[in-house]
Amino acid sequence: MKRTRVPAPAAAALAVVCLLAAADTLVVKVQTTPLRQAPQFFAPTVAALKVGDKLELIATQGAWRQVKTAAGLTGWIHSSAAEVPKFTLMAMSGGTKTEASAKEAALAGKGFSKEIERNYRAKHADVSFVWVDKMAALAVPAAQVEDFLKKGKLGEGRSSQ
Amino acid sequence: MSARRPFAFAVLFVVLVGFAASSALAQIRLPGKIGDAAQKAKDAAKIIKIVRNGFGDITEEEEYYIGRSVAALILSRYPVFDKPALTQYLNTLGNAVALFSDRPEIFAGWHFLVLDTDEVNALAAPGGMIFVTRGLLLRCPDEDTLGMILAHEIGHVVAKHGLQSIKKSRLTEAFTALGAQAAEAYGPAELAQVTSIFEGVLSDIVEKLVVNGYDRKSEYEADSLSVKFGAATGYDPNGLLRFLQTMVGDSSTVSGKGWFKTHPTPEDRLAKSKAEIGRLKVTPALEEVRTPRFKQAMALLK
Repeated sequence: MKRTRVPAPAAAALAVVCLLAAADTLVVKVQTTPLRQAPQFFAPTVAALKVGDKLELIATQGAWRQVKTAAGLTGWIHSSAAEVPKFTLMAMSGGTKTEASAKEAALAGKGFSKEIERNYRAKHADVSFVWVDKMAALAVPAAQVEDFLKKGKLGEGRSSQ
Repeated sequence: MSARRPFAFAVLFVVLVGFAASSALAQIRLPGKIGDAAQKAKDAAKIIKIVRNGFGDITEEEEYYIGRSVAALILSRYPVFDKPALTQYLNTLGNAVALFSDRPEIFAGWHFLVLDTDEVNALAAPGGMIFVTRGLLLRCPDEDTLGMILAHEIGHVVAKHGLQSIKKSRLTEAFTALGAQAAEAYGPAELAQVTSIFEGVLSDIVEKLVVNGYDRKSEYEADSLSVKFGAATGYDPNGLLRFLQTMVGDSSTVSGKGWFKTHPTPEDRLAKSKAEIGRLKVTPALEEVRTPRFKQAMALLK
């Protein structure tokens, strides 16, 4: 088998990409998510994490990520609750060890927000958000979902034909 | 030769992406090399352009706020069928299916509501606010069918079909406006500009969702995700076929909506979904144990 020679610039680019992929920081991207004792939805909760919380990635198991919080707590989160922060990627590939300033991070987070909704609502008094707020407040406790799955022979207890 | 080609493409791709990223980043004066305010604003705008350029770069929080307003506009067209026990059942079922989707965790959770209309329809706003009509519930013969329908709507949200209907030019305008000023808070002019872009975003999505309906590609993808998520939950995926079957030859489900233009026919969806189900390694069966709670919830429709 012929060896493939990778030219130096390509190797450098590869290194950049590898560095990006190796980033071991995650940031919570949902409003709240439980830090769980085990990589399962209904595992006991260690702590409640909130949007923007920085986490250190320890291990990966399927769609689950074992992480450590700034407070030193260790547990599991589902991969859909967190992402690799883009500013970490940029700081790492900048050549010098720089951190994006808090100001720029805030700027990046500036977008369609609560403030924009407030302004939109002020302009459109005819569009009611009463049911939207009621809908957003509908909460189903994890134990209720677990019970629903179990009693309906769903989830872990599902059958096949 | 053929075995090496994918590798060569992969290397080429990595090299191109690497070069693109490094050359773009090289133009930016990163924090630490402090310039004047104007320069900082320019840099910030460049950062935003690199960081955000497509619908996939809309943050979860933005998706949620877009979704809330889309939901408000849907709710301005239809009244709510307000039966707390039915709403509770629907939300428990929906959250159970969402757990087995590719996006169990979403910014502010998954929420479901029944709309009081005879129309047979289901709508998913970005961010996980999902609506089903009373007319649709009356067509569901069993919990598994309803589970598959909710899995289809969850599929639309997971695949971000709502966000994909935002015009590309609108997104570019949004990201440029959002990155234009290096201020931490919106100034009055900027707030007005971003709000007007926000209105445009809402109209793009509502037009697709409520007026025209999704195109064939999005519907087939949502059906495919329905089979994947529904079967993973443990529901009989044939429930999707049972529902689609009721739509064959029934023009009332699409009446006056002009959906025929872009929406696939139930026959086409049936054929594709049948093939999708055939590819499942394990096909869950319908369980009678779920019948009493389903019947109890549906009795509330009367």
